[in-house]
Amino acid sequence: MKPNPLRPPTLSPGDIPADPWRYLLYVARAHTGLVAAGFVGLSISGTAWILLPWAIAKIVDEVLVARDSGPLLQWSIVLVVVALGSSWVFVAGYRALFMAESHARVRTVRDLTDHLNRAGTGVRGAVSPGEMVNLSTEDAHKTGSFIFQLGFGWMGLVMLGVGTGILWNVHPALGATTAGGVLFIGFVVGPVLGRLQHHQIAYRSSVATLTGQAADVVGGLRVLRGVGGEQQFSQRYRAASADLREAGYGVATADSWVQGLRASLPLALIAAITWVGARLALTGTISVGELSAAFGMTALVAQHSGAMIGMAQSIIAAQVASRRLTAFFRTRSDIADDGTAAGARGALRDPESGLAVEEGLLTVIVSAEAKPAEAVMERLARYRESEAEWGEQRLDDLTLDEVRERVLLLREDYLFAQSLAATLRVEESKALAAIEAACAADVYSSLGSTLDGEITNGGRNLSGGQRQRLRLARALAADAETLLAVEPTSAVDAHTENLIAERVAAARAGRTTAVVTASPLWLARADRVAWLVDGKVRAVGTHAELSAQGEYRALTSRLES
Amino acid sequence: MSAMSETERRGRLPIADRAAMFRAVKRLVIEDKAAFGLVVLLYIAAAGAGAALPVMLGAVIDGIGTGWAASRVDMICGAIAACVVLQLVLMRTGRRLGYRLGERAAARLRESFIDRVLRLPLGTVERAGTGDLATRTSGDVGAVAELLRKTGPEVAVAIIELVVLTVAAFVVSPKLGVLFLVGVPMLVFAARRYVRLASPVFLSERAAMSEIAETLTASAAGAQTVAAYRMQDERGRAGYGRAGAHMDRLKGIIRLQTWFFPATDLTFLVPTVVVTIVGGLWYLEGWVSVGEVVAVAMLTLRLDGPVFRSMMSLSEFQMGGAAMARVEGVHLMPDEVREAAPAGAEVRLDDVTFGYGDGPDVLHGLSLHPRRGERLVVVGPSGAGKSTIARLVAGIDRPRRGAVTLGGAPVADVPLEELRRKVVLVTQEHYVFTATLRENLNLAAPEAGDDDLLAALATVDARWAADLGLDTMLGEEHHELNLAEAQQLALARVILADPDVVILDEATAGIDPGSAGNVEASLAAALDGRTVIAIAHQLQAAESADRIAVVQAGRIAEEGSHAELLAADGAYASLWKAWKGVPA
Repeated sequence: MKPNPLRPPTLSPGDIPADPWRYLLYVARAHTGLVAAGFVGLSISGTAWILLPWAIAKIVDEVLVARDSGPLLQWSIVLVVVALGSSWVFVAGYRALFMAESHARVRTVRDLTDHLNRAGTGVRGAVSPGEMVNLSTEDAHKTGSFIFQLGFGWMGLVMLGVGTGILWNVHPALGATTAGGVLFIGFVVGPVLGRLQHHQIAYRSSVATLTGQAADVVGGLRVLRGVGGEQQFSQRYRAASADLREAGYGVATADSWVQGLRASLPLALIAAITWVGARLALTGTISVGELSAAFGMTALVAQHSGAMIGMAQSIIAAQVASRRLTAFFRTRSDIADDGTAAGARGALRDPESGLAVEEGLLTVIVSAEAKPAEAVMERLARYRESEAEWGEQRLDDLTLDEVRERVLLLREDYLFAQSLAATLRVEESKALAAIEAACAADVYSSLGSTLDGEITNGGRNLSGGQRQRLRLARALAADAETLLAVEPTSAVDAHTENLIAERVAAARAGRTTAVVTASPLWLARADRVAWLVDGKVRAVGTHAELSAQGEYRALTSRLES
Repeated sequence: MSAMSETERRGRLPIADRAAMFRAVKRLVIEDKAAFGLVVLLYIAAAGAGAALPVMLGAVIDGIGTGWAASRVDMICGAIAACVVLQLVLMRTGRRLGYRLGERAAARLRESFIDRVLRLPLGTVERAGTGDLATRTSGDVGAVAELLRKTGPEVAVAIIELVVLTVAAFVVSPKLGVLFLVGVPMLVFAARRYVRLASPVFLSERAAMSEIAETLTASAAGAQTVAAYRMQDERGRAGYGRAGAHMDRLKGIIRLQTWFFPATDLTFLVPTVVVTIVGGLWYLEGWVSVGEVVAVAMLTLRLDGPVFRSMMSLSEFQMGGAAMARVEGVHLMPDEVREAAPAGAEVRLDDVTFGYGDGPDVLHGLSLHPRRGERLVVVGPSGAGKSTIARLVAGIDRPRRGAVTLGGAPVADVPLEELRRKVVLVTQEHYVFTATLRENLNLAAPEAGDDDLLAALATVDARWAADLGLDTMLGEEHHELNLAEAQQLALARVILADPDVVILDEATAGIDPGSAGNVEASLAAALDGRTVIAIAHQLQAAESADRIAVVQAGRIAEEGSHAELLAADGAYASLWKAWKGVPA
C-alpha cells in the first residue's frame, strides 16, 4: 500500500467524476451503510412524530370526550413511548448521516490532496490561495452536507406519507387537503428560491471583494502608516462596504419572502385543515379527537416541509460547490509525463537561448534582466515545455521522474510548515553540513539550535535573508546531480555571499552547477560564464575573457559604479 | 482594565470583555433604535398571529361541544385564515427590515473596525503579529456580520415566538399554562450545559478546518517545490493527517449533539405529554374544557420549531459573540499620544540601546548623527542591527535607553502626519495594494497629478509603468508586479512623498543588476538635498556615499568616507574586498 518514495503517485484521474451531479453521487456513495442507516432511522422517527398527535387524539376521544379514565393509562404509555422513540431514534439516524457527511468531507479533502500531487505544477496560476481555501473547506462541506439535507428531506416525505395515510383513513378530504397543501408549498416556494440564489451569488462576490480589501489594508498597513493613504483606503472600504450593504438589501428582499412563506404556508395549511375538519366534526363525521389529530399532524408535516425546502436549497448549493470542485479536479499537469528514456549524459542545452550547461562544471549565467535567465533555467529543469536537450536526448523524451531526480532548480521555493530536519530531508550530519555550506547557522540557532525547530508556513518565522539561505541549504542537502540556481544569494551581505560561493563551489566540485547571478563573488569561481542578452547567449568564456567587453564589465564589475 | 494591561504586556491585541461587548451592542441598537423597535414589534405581532391558531382551534372544539352553528364555525375559521395572511405580511416585513437592520449594523461595525485598524500604531500591530489582525479582519468581521444579519434575527424571532406561545397558553388557561412551563428547567439546563461545552468543540472543529485550508493552500502555492523535491508523499500525508484530525473534531461535535438533541426534544415533549395526561385528568375533574386541553397541547407541539432553532443557533451565537469581542477589541487599544514638535529635520541617535520585546539587546549604546542633506550608507553583515536602526529612525520602535530624535524631539513621539512628511522608510518588504497603479502611488500625495506620478515612475526607471498605464489594476488577481517592479513602485512613492529624510532599507535589493545602478543614480538625483540613510548589505551604494557607517554586532564599528575607511584597512576594507571579489 505504501507508495514507492522515489515515485510520485500516478493516480488515475478517471476516478473522480467530472460532472458536478455525478460527483455528488460519488461522494454520497462512499458510505452507503451509514446513509442507509440514517435514512432508516429518520424514517422511523418521522413516523413516530406523526403518531404523537394521533396518540393525543386517542386520549381526547376515548378519555375526555367519553369521560372514561379507564384507557388513560394505556394511551399514556403509548404517548410516552412514541415521544421518546421519536426523539432517540432520530438521534441515531442523525448520527449516522452526520458521520456519512463527515466521511464525505474528509474524502473530498483527501481527493484534493491527491489531486494537488497529481496535477503538480499544473495548479500554478490555476487556483488562487483564496479559492483553495474555499475548495477545501466550504465546498467540501457543502458537497458533504448534501447527503445530510437529503436525509431530512426524506424524513419530511415520510412524515407526509404517513400523515396523509392516517388522515385519509379518518376522512379522504383531510388526507387530500394535507397532501395537496404540502405539495403546493413545495411548488410555491421553489421559484422564490431561484430568485434568492441569484441575489446570493452577487452577495457572495461582494463579501469576497470586501474581505479582500480589508485584508489588503492589513497587509499594507506598514505602507499606509509609513507613507499615508489611510484616508483613501478608508473611503474605498466604505464604498465597498456600502455596495455590500446594498447587495444585502437585495438578499433581504428575496430572503424575507422565503422566511415569511416558510413560516406562513404551514400555518395556511393548518388553517385549511382546521376549517375542513371543523365542518366535518360539526356534522359528526369525525370526532373532536380526530379534528385535533388532523391539526397536530398537519402542523408537524407542514413544519417539516421546511426540510424539503432546505433540501432544495442545499442541492443548489451543493451543485455550485461540486461544480467548483470538479473544475479543479479537471486541472492537469502542465508538463507532459510521457517520456520513456532514461540515463541521459552530457551537457544540458537550451536551443531557445543557445545556452549549454556543461557536465561537471560551475557555470554562471549573467543577464541584465532576471526574467529571461530564469526562463532558461525553467526550460532546462523542465518546468516549461521546450526543445531543451540533455546530451543526445530531448529532455521531454526522458521520464519526468528522472529529470526531477537528477536536475534540481532552486529559486524562490516554498518553505512548508515542518521541522528543520524535515525541511532539509536528509540525515543529521548531512543537514548540518548543508546548513554550514549555506551559511544558515543563524537559521539553526534562531530555531533553538536543534533540527527539531519548527518552521512556519511560508517560512514566515524567518527573515527574508534567512529564508533564502535555508532554501539554498535544502537544495544543497538534496545533492542533485545537476543544480540550477537563480539568484541564490541576492539577499545576503558580501561577506556571507563570499563564503557561500566558496563553500558551494567546493561542495559541488565535479558536479554540474549553474547559477544565475552577476555577483563577482560567484563569477570569480565560475568554470564558465555565459552572458545572456535579451534571453540569448551573447558570449561564453571565463570571467576574465568576457571582462574584456565593456558592456559585460559594466554589468558585473563593481569597480565601475 | 487589569485584563487590558495583561494583554498589553504580552503584546497581543486586546479582546473586548462582557461590559465592552454590551456597550457595543447597545451602541448598535441605539444608532438604529426606531428600526429596531419596529422590527421587534413586527416579530411579536407575527408570533401572536401564529399562536392564535391553536387557541382558536380550542374555541372551535368547545364551540362544537356547545352546539355552535356552521356559520359561527366558518366565522372563526375565516378569522384563522385572516390571521395567517396577517402573519405572512408581518413576518415578511419584519424579516426584511430585520435583515436590513442587521446589514446596516454590520456595515457600521466593519467600517469603524477598518478605520480603527488604520489608526493602530505599527509597533503594536507588529508586536501582536499581523496574523492576529488579519484573522480579525477576514474571519471575525464576516462572522459578526453573519451574527447581526442572520443568526441574531433568527434567535430573536425564535425567542419572541417562545414567549408569545407561553403567553398564549396562559391566556387559554392559566392552570394549563403552568403545565406548559414544565419543560423550562430542562431547557435552561440543556442550554447552559451546551453553551459551556459547545464552544470549544466547535472552535476546535473550525481550527481543524483552517489547518486543512492552510495545508492545502501551502501545497498549491508550493506546487513547484513539491515537484522539485518530490514531496508528494509528505504533502499527501500532511493533507490526509489534517483530514483525519478534522474527522476527530467532527466526532466531538456528534458526541455533543447525541445528548443535546434528545434533551432539547424533551423540553417540549414533556409538556406535550404532561398537558395531555394531566389536562385529561383535570378535565375529568371539571377544571378545564376539552378545547383548552387540545389548544394547549397543540401549543406545546408548536414549541418544537423555535426551541430547536434557538438551541441550534446557540453555539453560532456564542461564536459570533466571540468574534465580536475580537473585533471590538481593537477599539480598546489606546490611541498613541504623539505630541512632540520637531524643530527641523535633523536625525540623531544618541547612545541607543534597544531590543525587541523581552529579547536581548540588539543595539548597544549606538550613536549616529546623519548630517542634513548627506547620503549616509549603513553597511554590515546580516543581523548586525541595521534594520533596527531604520525602524528606530522611522519612529516604529522606541529605544530602551538613549534617544532617537528628529529635530530635537523623540521620533516615536512625533505625530504621524508630521513624521511622515519628514521621514519615510522604504524596506525590502514591498506591498502592492489590490488597486490601480494610480491609487498605489498617490497614497503619499493624493493631490499629485498624473504627470507627477509618471515622472516619479520614470525617475526610478519603471519603464513597465508607462506600458501599463495608471488605471491598470494591480495585485494577485489582476496584474501582478514582480519584486523589482514592486520596489520601483515603493521608491516612486517616496519621490512623491518628498520627505526630508529617506531611509532605504535594502530598497533596491531585488532590482535587476542591469538596472539597479540606474535606479540608484536617478533616485540619488531625485533625493538631492534630502538626508538619505541607505542600509545595504551589498556595497553598490557605498562608494558614492558622503559617509559610511559600518555596523557590527549592534555597534558602530567604523565611520568615514569610502577612501578613509579603505585607508583604515578595517572591517569595511575587508567587506569591500570580499564584495569586489578580490580573491582572499
